[in-house]
Amino acid sequence: MKARSLGALALLALIVALTPLLVRYPTLEAQMLISGLLALGFSFLLGQMGFLSFGQATFNGIGAYAAALALLHWHVPLVLLLAIGILAGTLSALVVGVLSIQGVGVYAVMLTFALNEMAYFSAFQLKGITGGDNGLRGLIRPDLFGFSLSSSLTYYYLVAVVFVLAVYVVLRIIDSPFGHVLRAIRENEQRAKAIGYEVRHFKIAAFALSGAISGLAGALYALLYQFVPLEAIDFNTSTNIVIMGLLGGVGSPFGPILGAAIYTLLANFLSEVWARWPLVLGVIFCCIVLFLRGGLWELGPLALRRIRHLGGGNVAADSKPL
Amino acid sequence: MLQTRNLSKRFGAHTAVQSVDLAVHEGTLHSIIGPNGAGKTTLFNLLSGDLQPTEGEIFFKGQPITRLDSARRSRLGIGRSFQRTNIFPQLSVFENVRIAAQSRSTASFDLWHPASSLGAVSQRAGEVLREIGLHERAEQLARELAGGDQRLLELAIALATDPVLLLFDEPSQGLSPEDAKRLMARIRALAARYTIVLIEHNVNLAMELSNEITVMHFGSVLARGTPAEIRSHQGVRDAYLGRRG
Repeated sequence: MKARSLGALALLALIVALTPLLVRYPTLEAQMLISGLLALGFSFLLGQMGFLSFGQATFNGIGAYAAALALLHWHVPLVLLLAIGILAGTLSALVVGVLSIQGVGVYAVMLTFALNEMAYFSAFQLKGITGGDNGLRGLIRPDLFGFSLSSSLTYYYLVAVVFVLAVYVVLRIIDSPFGHVLRAIRENEQRAKAIGYEVRHFKIAAFALSGAISGLAGALYALLYQFVPLEAIDFNTSTNIVIMGLLGGVGSPFGPILGAAIYTLLANFLSEVWARWPLVLGVIFCCIVLFLRGGLWELGPLALRRIRHLGGGNVAADSKPL
Repeated sequence: MLQTRNLSKRFGAHTAVQSVDLAVHEGTLHSIIGPNGAGKTTLFNLLSGDLQPTEGEIFFKGQPITRLDSARRSRLGIGRSFQRTNIFPQLSVFENVRIAAQSRSTASFDLWHPASSLGAVSQRAGEVLREIGLHERAEQLARELAGGDQRLLELAIALATDPVLLLFDEPSQGLSPEDAKRLMARIRALAARYTIVLIEHNVNLAMELSNEITVMHFGSVLARGTPAEIRSHQGVRDAYLGRRG
């Protein structure tokens, strides 16, 4: 992995470790990290492979339900619950991936949306399993190897460790031979085929990875609130994930994490003072789409270049994303 | 090396390629020429796997490849260029060639190790770039290259897949005369080591470069032979002067 990415990851880990000690909102902060994972799963598809998925909540919801049901019915230990979330997210994304990539362009996007709606209404109808409208209640967060996670601060640190590990894995995948093939597909699918790549297989594998991250987020979410609402699989959630990703920028894996953090903060604080807060979000979103295509994360390199420019350095050098 | 038997392609009522029997021998540079609308590009797309023929068969090294898609043909050793420049615009010149070389390695589903650790792949990409003369531009983004250099990059991408047969579709189209000359010099150099099928609109260029020529006219083969034979062929002269045989 590149030294710059490792440095950024170390900085991220430091911020994640210190934040709840400086500002004590561990539940909100855990939510920020979980949203960060969801946005990361979305951006992996869009930023690396060029596939816009409007149905990320499918994987999140199925991961959350699977982990919650395993906990309710079989009292599965915590580490296994996370594994179940990952597995459920991966399998659901395999199905969605295989079906969606049959479509071309906007039709593929619509397929992710349509499949999300199907998953939502299935969850809504299967009241006996998912609790339907009422959500899945009565979860009790299990201990981790005998260590109690009942306080929200200790649970935050579990989420934080899992989060940093997941970001590390994504960074490695982006830098791997597989990640390079995804970018070639993003740049020119026809050419990627012509040099011998089975593009379909790579796309399906990328979906599976995106689903794994989202399913993991779903399991962490279920254990955070000890409850899985129907919203977890709602199309609105998918839309919010898209907004988080584009807000932060999908060019770097750090962009969606930033976008998710900002989105979650706005949603939490603005909604308390003003019920129409999405209006503010809408204005910010429009500005970014119009003037800052790379998302907020682009501001970093922009500022760096400006500083170098002032210092008489080489302006044209290095505008590469991390 | 490459053979077609009774190859036809119809689009509705229009027959673009009609019963073409082609035989490309190992080690030759075989040009396919013909006036506009003769079916050259359709024939090329049938050979590359972008189109499926309505009738007939294609053989590569004696094996039928008629039903294989372009990715499979590439893995068998058929490299190709495109009529319009077809590269990975936002990737570096080096990465354009490196990713092509990586397609021959089994590591493309490796999710864990850095791509830069595939030493043989990077080395192959470096060799191809030097051979084609783009090594000084390796770090530039592909879209920043001039038109002529992008065509060279297109060649480099094809070469990095270690093909035994190269298919070139009007590689000099849209280039300035100097760039076209430079490109043709590269192709001439490649002809020493590869079997090449060249679709070419410019008859003089084709005559200069080729060992064998097939002339297409209205979707069918009008003539085939050495450049000298083609030059003296009455039917070919008529076709290019616009008379119908």
